Amino acid sequence: MSFIEVRQISKTFRIARKKSGLKESIKSFFKRDFIHVKAVEDISFSIDEGEIVGYIGPNGAGKSTTIKILSGILIPDSGDCLIDGITPWKNRVEYVKRIGVVFGQRSQLWWDLPAEDTFDLLKDIYEIPEEEYQSTKNDLVNRLNLQDIINIPVRQLSLGQRMRCEIAASLLHNPKILFLDEPTIGLDAVSKQIVRDFIKKLNKEKKITVILTSHDMADITSLSKRIILIGNGHVLYDGSLKKLQNRYECEKYISIKTKDRLFIHKKGIYHKKKTKDGYDLTINTNEISISELLNVISKKITIDDIEIETDNIDNIIVKLYKDYQI
Amino acid sequence: MKLYLKSLSMHLRGELEYRVNFILSFLSQIFVFFTYYFIILALFTKFDHIKGFTLYEVLLCFSIIQFGFSFNEVFARGIDKFDVLIIHGNFDRLLLRPKNIILQVLCSDSDFVKVSRMIQALIVMGIALIHLEISWNLFRILCLLFMLISSCVIFFGIFLAAAAYCFFTVQGLEVRNVFTDGGKHMAQYPIGVFQKGFVLFFTFVIPYAFVNYYPLLYFLGRSNSIYYAFSPLLVFFFLFPCILLFYFGMRRYTSVGS
Repeated sequence: MSFIEVRQISKTFRIARKKSGLKESIKSFFKRDFIHVKAVEDISFSIDEGEIVGYIGPNGAGKSTTIKILSGILIPDSGDCLIDGITPWKNRVEYVKRIGVVFGQRSQLWWDLPAEDTFDLLKDIYEIPEEEYQSTKNDLVNRLNLQDIINIPVRQLSLGQRMRCEIAASLLHNPKILFLDEPTIGLDAVSKQIVRDFIKKLNKEKKITVILTSHDMADITSLSKRIILIGNGHVLYDGSLKKLQNRYECEKYISIKTKDRLFIHKKGIYHKKKTKDGYDLTINTNEISISELLNVISKKITIDDIEIETDNIDNIIVKLYKDYQI
Repeated sequence: MKLYLKSLSMHLRGELEYRVNFILSFLSQIFVFFTYYFIILALFTKFDHIKGFTLYEVLLCFSIIQFGFSFNEVFARGIDKFDVLIIHGNFDRLLLRPKNIILQVLCSDSDFVKVSRMIQALIVMGIALIHLEISWNLFRILCLLFMLISSCVIFFGIFLAAAAYCFFTVQGLEVRNVFTDGGKHMAQYPIGVFQKGFVLFFTFVIPYAFVNYYPLLYFLGRSNSIYYAFSPLLVFFFLFPCILLFYFGMRRYTSVGS
């Protein structure tokens, strides 16, 4: 039995359908059409303690719904879920003591008061003993560099500062599992790095299990080895990120600088385009190796310069979504 | 309770961050309140009494209901504004915390500006009591106290039921205003002045009559039944279905998109 065990979870929402315009709004006020939207269907996976899992998928794929079910906010229509021996929606109070949740788009801090006041209130909500609270708080303050900002009203903080406080607030009660729903949304490069490094360290030192959703693939690549891809409410891929990258990495982009004209037709070369000072080629390394290609080309023309590129992770994801038609 | 007091003080500090706004709102509440007050005064310049109730008797009734309503606006604002909590998705956060949900909703908001209404209600009550010749005894004092408490309790129940309604639809909130604001305006007059159907409805469905009619009869010496003095306590039974309704609604909660 794994630490987190999710079995065939489905959830359907009933959504009022409305056409645009005032007239339609008034009409729908009296009579509503409902459509049923399957947010997630038959989702199953298991996660071990101490893992970091990236949960990815396009907008509206069902990521947030899954997170909400796993964190006990929503009750699924069918399916089972056992996390650390508890079904989240059946024993809410006991369960939520063990988890921390960060919603990147929503704040849990009191807008008009310093973050430290929120921390203080959370101490009472989670009934954390004073000593434990002080040591956890000091630890978090040091790690996330919050010394200068926890005494400023939250509304005056920058987004990056606020997010660091949010994360600290979610960890005050030493949860075993951390859910991060787009934790780096809207942050600058430096803040993103701080957040990522912190999560990585936390996972390593405290063996905290992390489930992370993000549209920033750099978050996923730097944090998790395993990803779960979801689209249209189904799990489409569950496995190592590396494998997925390899699948798409066989495609290389080669740009050659040359003054000569190049005529080449060979299996494995998919795309040839004349540019200002040379050619761009797309090849598949399963069908033609790079050395073979260079061999052929260098016999025909003089190469002034050459650049070989692999798809970056964002492009891979775009292709992945395309391949799965989501 | 400690938690609730702590969040109350945090709300107060939050509101005091905007000092000028707080003072102006506080003052404006006085004007709002006095329009209600003048409506009743104006009514009584035309009529000596409404179905046998004189100006000061009605004012007493009015102040008790206003007190209970404002009390909830201050201390149970989170329940009054529950639709906002749902629409903005902040209810999710409450579900992630290991404490009773209703307690947390109570902690989620409060509106100290409305304290001014509570004070004014007590002032009007004082004026009414001075002009009414009450033959005071222990039961009358208790009766008045019960009326004030039950007024707070009944509005708490109504707010809670109205909040439960938000689980089913976040739109069409006017329906719930019929019972909160509408109910408040009706109950400002002794329920007995209305037609029989209304009286039955406000006795057995939403028991306003136990807040401001039956005990009032005893208090004013129009009835000698000692049961009437204790009848406000029946309002506590009204709370149970309201709480149940809230938990029933919670099971249907569907959250909002992220």
